[in-house]
Amino acid sequence: MGSTIVEKILAKHAGRDRVQAGEVVVAEVDYAMVTDTRAVNTIKMIDRFGDQPLQFAKKTSLVLDHYSPPPTQEAADIHSEMRAFAAARGTGLYDIGEGICHQVLPEGGHLTCGDLVVGTDTHSVTYGAFNAFGTGIEGTDVSAVMMSSKLWFRVPQTVHIDLKGVLAPGVWAKDITLAMLGKFGAEGLNYRAIEYVGDAVRAMEIDDRMTLCNHAAELGSKAAILEADEKTFAWLAAHGAKKPQPVFADADAKYAGRFIIDVTNLAPQLARKHEVDDIVGVDQIERQKIQFALIGTCTNGRLDDIRQAASILKGRKLAAGIRMIVTPASRQIYLAALREGLIEILTTAGASFESAGCGTCVGITNRLVPGDGDTVISTANRNFKGRLTNKNADIWLGSAATVAASALTGFITDPRLVEGGTWRSAA
Amino acid sequence: MEIRRMSDSLLISGAAFMLGDDVNTDINCSNKYLPGKDVAYVAQHAFEQLSPGLASQIASHDGGILVAGEHFGINSSREQATHVLHQMKVRAIVAKSFGRQFFRNAINNGLPVFECDTSSIIQGQSISLNLAKGELSTQGHVLQKTHPLPPEILAILSMGGLVPFLQKYPDWKFA
Repeated sequence: MGSTIVEKILAKHAGRDRVQAGEVVVAEVDYAMVTDTRAVNTIKMIDRFGDQPLQFAKKTSLVLDHYSPPPTQEAADIHSEMRAFAAARGTGLYDIGEGICHQVLPEGGHLTCGDLVVGTDTHSVTYGAFNAFGTGIEGTDVSAVMMSSKLWFRVPQTVHIDLKGVLAPGVWAKDITLAMLGKFGAEGLNYRAIEYVGDAVRAMEIDDRMTLCNHAAELGSKAAILEADEKTFAWLAAHGAKKPQPVFADADAKYAGRFIIDVTNLAPQLARKHEVDDIVGVDQIERQKIQFALIGTCTNGRLDDIRQAASILKGRKLAAGIRMIVTPASRQIYLAALREGLIEILTTAGASFESAGCGTCVGITNRLVPGDGDTVISTANRNFKGRLTNKNADIWLGSAATVAASALTGFITDPRLVEGGTWRSAA
Repeated sequence: MEIRRMSDSLLISGAAFMLGDDVNTDINCSNKYLPGKDVAYVAQHAFEQLSPGLASQIASHDGGILVAGEHFGINSSREQATHVLHQMKVRAIVAKSFGRQFFRNAINNGLPVFECDTSSIIQGQSISLNLAKGELSTQGHVLQKTHPLPPEILAILSMGGLVPFLQKYPDWKFA
């Protein structure tokens, strides 16, 4: 009996020939990430070991992204503590405005195919886009990794999802992941690893592949992982990553489920207010007014997302009364958008840019607070009531193209029906 | 002697305190939405929305075992919840299934978790867990069996969590 990608990665890092779903293994970790929301707890745990040298520090990055820029003195003090810790113990540090953890880690060349990467955030599953096992952990876990370079893992069962066919222009990985949430339900794949394969995945650029894996967190997945190909290798090489050691599943690997989903006729999808798995096709929504539009977050704040928006809003204005914020996922993305002229296009259309970080996704920095009765359309990954602090506002989720088309008309709008809405990145 | 102590700490008894499915520990058992409140405060009010008076009932029994349905600790799952549960004198949690991160947090902080069908357990029932054998019993009768936790996890639990475990076995190699 063969192994899945995740089983192979865990086996190799545990020094074993093979592992089986359900068993617990102690595995060597390649890289660890700590965000500012969990840093205080993590540092407290590490301090319990005294001040012995941290061998793993050079394989660890602290990322100041959630409280970026810090909205309160308490948050600013947490950042000071993190900077002092990084300087004293030798970890890497991404300061405010550098970007969201899940973007800066791959951009910084910190991971490659076949790696085992942990981070103090559930969306650490994003690293699966690079054929790495990425998963979310907590402070005690990180302290163990920093002390011993190892951690215990329960080997998850893997679900195999074959995405057949070709996405229509104007339809994106975001729409696939929302469709998955409609099919399986929030936490519907709790504790499972997902292997996404198929023609639709191969056709995706890296930006879209990161969206596909990132959003698996809402399915409850422990990991979401793709096969590596030439696009993966080229991207990793361009970002200075180590030599990739791609991992493929065996033909006779054992899966907890196999699904074949043809995406050819998929319409842009939406998660309706409050529930991440209340999914409907955009073509079924009529005259749903919006007031606020957000493009950003670790799910959809990448260059191709900003390009989708610029393609739709070039030479146009947002509908009257619409407020739109664009938050690039990293400073590098902001600079790339600047060089391409996208920031001028979107700013001229009436959008505002925020510095890279998590603040407009969740009510932490108060940089996006909707008013009572407002409807927000967002590219974020979660839409719980009150996520943007106001419980009297609704949040809907969709692709960057859908968000931009909606900001243009003032109503939730199928991007395929507006000029520029079927733009597609060059393969 | 050490093995004897270890197996003793893996036998747990107490009264069952029932909760339902999808208990979100971020909302019900952490200060995520109570900024500035400490563990002691949260422990007095934990699960109040789901089971009014639960904290004081457990206190009046000088501790107990929480019994829940599916997905206990669902969602992002703050580690602080385990500190609150220790403060409440919760000795173990039995549930049909656990949220992934809560399961990790509990073990890392020396709070035993036991995964089995809980539908036949009733409020206030006296139950016993044998973690090494994976048995849940009441009045000497085994009610539920589950796959026992592996030796690494039993060792972490018996030593009170991952930090004390690694302080003693920095290379993860234990007898």
